Amino acid sequence: MKATSQGVSAGGWCRRAVMAGASAFVLGASLLGFAGAAEAQQGDRIRKIVLVTAPQAGDPQEFQAAQLIGQEWRKLGLDVEVRAMTRQQLTDYVWQSREKWDATMWRMVGRPERSDPDELIFNLFHSTTARAGFNFVGYNNPAYDQIAEAQRREVDVAARKRLITEAQQVIARDTPYVFLVHPKNNIAYLKSVWDPKTIVDQGGIGIRNFWTFVNAAPVGTQKDMVLFSADLLVAINPLYISGGSDSWITDLVWDRLMRVGPDGLPTPWSASEVKWVDGQTLDVTLRPGQKWHDGRPMTVEDVIFSFEAVAGDESPMYKPFVSNIASIEKVSDSVVRFKLKTASASFLTSTLAKINLVPKHVWEPILQGLATSPQNAESHQERQPIGSGPFKVARFALTEEVVLEKNADHWSAPKMDRWILRIVTNQEAALGMLRRGEVNFLSDYRGDPKILDDLARQNTNVEVASSIDMGFRFVGLNNRRPPFDDVKFRQALSLAINRNLMVQAAWNGYAVPSGSVVSPALAAWHVASITRANLDEAKKTLADAGYALVQNRLHYPSGKRETLTAE
Amino acid sequence: MPRIVTRLLHMLLVLWAVATILFLMFRLMPGDPTLAYIDTTFSAEQRQQLLVMFGLDRPLHEQYFIYLWNLLQGELGTSFHYKRPVLDLVLSVLPNTVVLTFVSLLLAYIFGVLVGAWLAWRRGSWLEGVVIPSVLALRAAPEFWLGMVLLATLGFGLGIFPSGGANSPGATFSSEWARIFSLDYAQHLVLPTLTLFLYLQGLPLLLMRSNMLEVMQEDFIMMARMKGLSERSIMLRHAARNAMLPVVTAFALGFGGSIGGNVVVESVFSWPGLGRLLVNAVAGNDYPLAQGAFLLITMFLVVMNFVADLLYSALDPRVSHG
Repeated sequence: MKATSQGVSAGGWCRRAVMAGASAFVLGASLLGFAGAAEAQQGDRIRKIVLVTAPQAGDPQEFQAAQLIGQEWRKLGLDVEVRAMTRQQLTDYVWQSREKWDATMWRMVGRPERSDPDELIFNLFHSTTARAGFNFVGYNNPAYDQIAEAQRREVDVAARKRLITEAQQVIARDTPYVFLVHPKNNIAYLKSVWDPKTIVDQGGIGIRNFWTFVNAAPVGTQKDMVLFSADLLVAINPLYISGGSDSWITDLVWDRLMRVGPDGLPTPWSASEVKWVDGQTLDVTLRPGQKWHDGRPMTVEDVIFSFEAVAGDESPMYKPFVSNIASIEKVSDSVVRFKLKTASASFLTSTLAKINLVPKHVWEPILQGLATSPQNAESHQERQPIGSGPFKVARFALTEEVVLEKNADHWSAPKMDRWILRIVTNQEAALGMLRRGEVNFLSDYRGDPKILDDLARQNTNVEVASSIDMGFRFVGLNNRRPPFDDVKFRQALSLAINRNLMVQAAWNGYAVPSGSVVSPALAAWHVASITRANLDEAKKTLADAGYALVQNRLHYPSGKRETLTAE
Repeated sequence: MPRIVTRLLHMLLVLWAVATILFLMFRLMPGDPTLAYIDTTFSAEQRQQLLVMFGLDRPLHEQYFIYLWNLLQGELGTSFHYKRPVLDLVLSVLPNTVVLTFVSLLLAYIFGVLVGAWLAWRRGSWLEGVVIPSVLALRAAPEFWLGMVLLATLGFGLGIFPSGGANSPGATFSSEWARIFSLDYAQHLVLPTLTLFLYLQGLPLLLMRSNMLEVMQEDFIMMARMKGLSERSIMLRHAARNAMLPVVTAFALGFGGSIGGNVVVESVFSWPGLGRLLVNAVAGNDYPLAQGAFLLITMFLVVMNFVADLLYSALDPRVSHG
């Protein structure tokens, strides 16, 4: 480990030295340029830059932010076109034609398993994911790759924290993304129904989470939580990641060995204890006395089956989360041993807190039946889903309503009687329903947060919980394409943006400026490095790197030709 | 008899044409179906697997023939998104849509026929000056606006009616029939039905009125008057009955047409129906679901058209003698 981290800093030093040399050279060249004929020495004029965004109707905040960015970049002497595309076209374009685009508005959404920074640090920026994976901006820095790999192996928390910090600093300096804001979550509920002391705020996720659903205590006669989803439900299936609202249900019906706690760290759940034997071997002790909803006991065989079931081809969406497991074996009637292919610090969060525990007696025959059919487990909808979680499925109609009832036999039994998820497609109606108590937990409000705040001011029963999201909004710069392949150019683009103005003008104050892939909501890992808006410094950065304005249009450093045209 | 056979052949031709247009339309739409659902964590390999699973990697003409062959066997396919048979999905929401459409349409046509006939009889009175503009205004008002106004007043405003859904949270019923005939369901049905009713009543009302005005010029009405029949009897038995013929056609076509067209009302009132499912399918490039649902709607429309035709010849012998 020690050798590696020295290697990293040596690599970093070399890179810095080369860069300093290069910029000294460029500076010299531009001074020379001043002395001679300015235009002849300067490179080509930079082509029109296209910034793609979701349309105003699809995402008003993003669209507004893109307009602001366009304005600021024009002040640097760039010709910027802000082009709107539907979300789907945008994904298609950015994801499938990685060489073609210049810059895109993009977002990462918060999810409990992203509480471990590994997914963000590794998948987003490691060079191996640039061709077809998550690193769609094509960031490529071997020194960074080493840090990202090292943090993945490092199981010592303090040492890993140092690596995560270093990674965030490298990203802040290299600016493959221009970070914009972390939005705020606004979720309301009725204080007259739920005891505010029992509502749990999970870091980066907000109050709509597993812990709230298990802990919320009714204060009056209404003992059912009535909440809503704005999207139709797709499935209730422990082997299919079918959608955002669907996952609220699977979370409650199926247990997992670990859960991501309110603090963002993994805590034992169906496991009573997890112990690293060495960097690649983990012993998990099962909590005694757990039962499936059909009354049968949960055994070590069930646990092993749950992980093996998703390793095959029947559950393609869960498969990547278990691909690092070399073998699972039974040690005793309560202990399972996981052997990993490579050491993984995030294993507890990204695998053990992710994979649903399913009863072998239910799923083994189903999977056998599916083995010979072209369909996989995703197409199987149980009539009566059986898990071991704190809630049981009472009944469901996926286009209307899902009713869960508390599992009184669970070792962590909920305080409420039933959890009723409605489908409400009309946001204004949802607000009206909250006012009248037809819903008492406003779980999926996507309208203007200000209206919600006003409602809470008028109606003392309504409590709004606002928290910073784990997700973030950013501009992805295509690091493959000039001029975005130049780190100085990217830094200047970031410096030009006024994030405070953006928070007010585009997000109505319901966001905070962002400076890192790790949200401030994840206090354990976050490193603050907000870029403050400074147009003069942005211009100076460009000038120092050799870019110059000719007739108010920005030109490349001397000798550099424009080889691309705006698509 | 040969007339009916020709009609049936026409129906099949229409269905084939619609099926083909649907097939091409969804495939020419921009965007790739595999991108609509997947998270961006999805790998290229997984995506390829999905394409193969749904046969989307094959050439278009091959896909087309597989699609037609399946249709002939009554197989509408499996939804990309829900991973379940399209027919099951559509059937799960169809009862709600049929009830909403049928009840509103029936009320609208009963109301429209009666009030239309009455207005024709009172032609030129001050009533006409009040009723006709308000009917036109309601017909022209956007459905979502009408729905929101009703919702904000009678729904969450006064709390007389529930603000959305088809049943109260957590309500239980012994069967689907028990659910549809429950008081709870009826209460939830009121506001969406009222909205749709207000929107739909204009057409039968104005149609009935103008037919009545025409019929009233006919000789047999004069004859009836001369026979000394009461005004009431002339209006209902003689004039209205004849004026109703085109309204019957409009009803049959309206029913076929409204089945898939309640998207707005269903969204405003969170009514779990076909329209909402369709919007999602189209937005997400769920070809099999969208194709299947549109095809079923077309089938409804074509069949209702056929029924209207038959009804028409039964009601008016002149048609079949043509």
